[in-house]
Amino acid sequence: MTESAANKEADGDTCHRVKPGRNGTVRNRQYRQPKSCCLDEAKVHQKTCNGGLYGRPFIESFEETPMLLAVLTYMGYGILTVFGYLRDFLREWKIEKCHIAREREEQRDFVPLYQDFENFYTRNLYMRIRDGWNRPICSVPGAKMDLVERVSHDYNWTFSYTGRAVKDVVNMGSYNYLGFAENAGPCTNAAAAVTLKCGVGVCSTRQEMGNLDRHEELEKLTARFLGVEAAMAFGMGFATNSMNIPALTGKGCLILSDELNHASLVLGARLSGSTIRVFKHNNMQSLEKLLRDAIVHGQPRTHRPWKKILILVEGIYSMEGSIVRLPEILALKKKYKAYLYLDEAHSIGALGANGRGVLDYFGLDPSDVDIMMGTFTKSFGAAGGYIGGRKELIDYLRCHSHSAVYATSMSAPVVEQIITSMKCIMGEDGTTIGKKRIRQLAENTTYFRTRLQELGFIIYGNKDSPVIPMMLYLPAKIGAFVREMLKRNIGVVVVGFPATPIIESRARFCISAAHTKETLDMVMHWHFTRLARHLKTSRPSERAEALDISSPPAPCDLAPSLSCVFIAVC
Amino acid sequence: MNVGTAHSEVNPNTRVMNSRGMWLAYLLGIGLLHVILLSIPFVSVSVVWTLTNLIHNMCMYLLLHTVKGTPFETPDQGKARLLTHWEQMDYGVQFTASRKFLTITPIILYILTSFYTKYDGVHFIINTFSLLSVLIPKMPQLHGVRLFGINKY
Repeated sequence: MTESAANKEADGDTCHRVKPGRNGTVRNRQYRQPKSCCLDEAKVHQKTCNGGLYGRPFIESFEETPMLLAVLTYMGYGILTVFGYLRDFLREWKIEKCHIAREREEQRDFVPLYQDFENFYTRNLYMRIRDGWNRPICSVPGAKMDLVERVSHDYNWTFSYTGRAVKDVVNMGSYNYLGFAENAGPCTNAAAAVTLKCGVGVCSTRQEMGNLDRHEELEKLTARFLGVEAAMAFGMGFATNSMNIPALTGKGCLILSDELNHASLVLGARLSGSTIRVFKHNNMQSLEKLLRDAIVHGQPRTHRPWKKILILVEGIYSMEGSIVRLPEILALKKKYKAYLYLDEAHSIGALGANGRGVLDYFGLDPSDVDIMMGTFTKSFGAAGGYIGGRKELIDYLRCHSHSAVYATSMSAPVVEQIITSMKCIMGEDGTTIGKKRIRQLAENTTYFRTRLQELGFIIYGNKDSPVIPMMLYLPAKIGAFVREMLKRNIGVVVVGFPATPIIESRARFCISAAHTKETLDMVMHWHFTRLARHLKTSRPSERAEALDISSPPAPCDLAPSLSCVFIAVC
Repeated sequence: MNVGTAHSEVNPNTRVMNSRGMWLAYLLGIGLLHVILLSIPFVSVSVVWTLTNLIHNMCMYLLLHTVKGTPFETPDQGKARLLTHWEQMDYGVQFTASRKFLTITPIILYILTSFYTKYDGVHFIINTFSLLSVLIPKMPQLHGVRLFGINKY
């Protein structure tokens, strides 16, 4: 039985006997209202108004890869592998110049320093399309940005800068959900004023001399924003997870972590020394099965009860665009008396009527979640992370967290940026800018998602998530898409294997409140309709042609498909 | 391409054979090989089938039982560096669906080849040895075993 995206939402058996299709709902509450779907493809889109557990319809779709595209993707990787071996052979016999680090002649008989094969993918696949990643920018990453123009004369092994900049590239890749990535405005002015007063850096830890009054105000404000008793802020979002989870759990505790959790959560869980069990992505049956097994059997050898069970989930998963099924998790948590750690890195500020995150989105009580974590990087235009919860928890973390003891505290201008943007979102600065931005983001998200689906592309994720993965599937299309988009002055982020499953390469769009409807229209109508023909998807392409769109005279349409072929060959 | 997140899936190689469409792609690949060999003008049907069987088994032996490690760096600190792809599949769990499929396909190909070569003696010996070279490494008793130190590091 083969796995695919749709199969992943099935029965919680971690073995291979997955049953396709069933959505992972909590077993006790089996009310599933009849699918009154006015949407076509009803078997893929599933509406769960789960007996009053959800206050609003929860619509997400992870359409299966079309079989033809899957087979073509494997063929694509197969051809690339064959050519990779050929090129390696040519490099070995010095017919072709070798750019990679090699062992010196004298060291040939020693144990090798490098595993040649581990580098195979990087040098034969990644290097071909490397110009699509790590592109330097020379402006603030707002709705439009300037890219440094670079060319490569040796097929992406080295880059040289032409000295020019590509101006006004539409930025569809930055996590700029509320548009606070700007270099003018009240946030910047406040940050500049504080820099003159308090300096640029703090050079000390929170526990020694690095505790400024701005930090205390930030933490009180964050606690008020989230609706919790207390909060603590840290200098890095990654470090918030990796340094605090070890302070919360240890040996003898159990961590139940979602399949697609971020590297920081995985690292924090591993550093803590607890037992880690992974449940299928957003699958409540799998989670409930693990919880029951854990409580019934206890610790592995001794069968003693676990000291703590901690469930690690994220608010929005940035690779899939899915929103966590929080009401069901809270129900499970209360039933089995586990703790919940919610990482709202992408969802804080981006979801909810007031921008307060995924709890606001579902209309739930913040005191139900034991540890609310989030980052200031995405929606607040700053850097750092926070943890919010009960006062005892935060007091404990102030003493025991690695960040508090060893890491430098946040610098004053960053703190000020967060304070100003948070007040703006809450409306406490006296304007309605925050409210407008939240509404603009929701409108942009809905508009972009519905239009992309109408055009016939396969989109993953929840209807309301501002992270939109658009499936590309073939390896050559990854490179072609990002280059074609840059030619049309649009900057996108693409991801491929091994960061995603082998047949699920995608382009990921992050919608921002700073995008205007005209920009989104331009991105879609002028450029995507052109590419829709080449990015064949599940729906018939006649749907795209049926749309009455007048477009400007376009550059050669054959370019994408030809470049696909060239990429494979050259 | 490791943008953004890391999976809990430390070695994606373990899941490749289970992905959607892989089995179909594999069967289509065998079909394509056979059709290409059939299009060579001066070989007989028996030779074509034997060649298909041989080339298929040789490629399978090379890709599944000779090449070790992963073509990308994995966060598991090299646990899979000395393992062939067959040993990496499903993290070493035996008798999964993909393993059964990959065991049965050479056998079916062998049966078809025996039929189309009209059970000729020479063809039989060649095909049988070729089949054995592909079936024996798949036995669970030979998981991680390297005979005579060949292919150990």
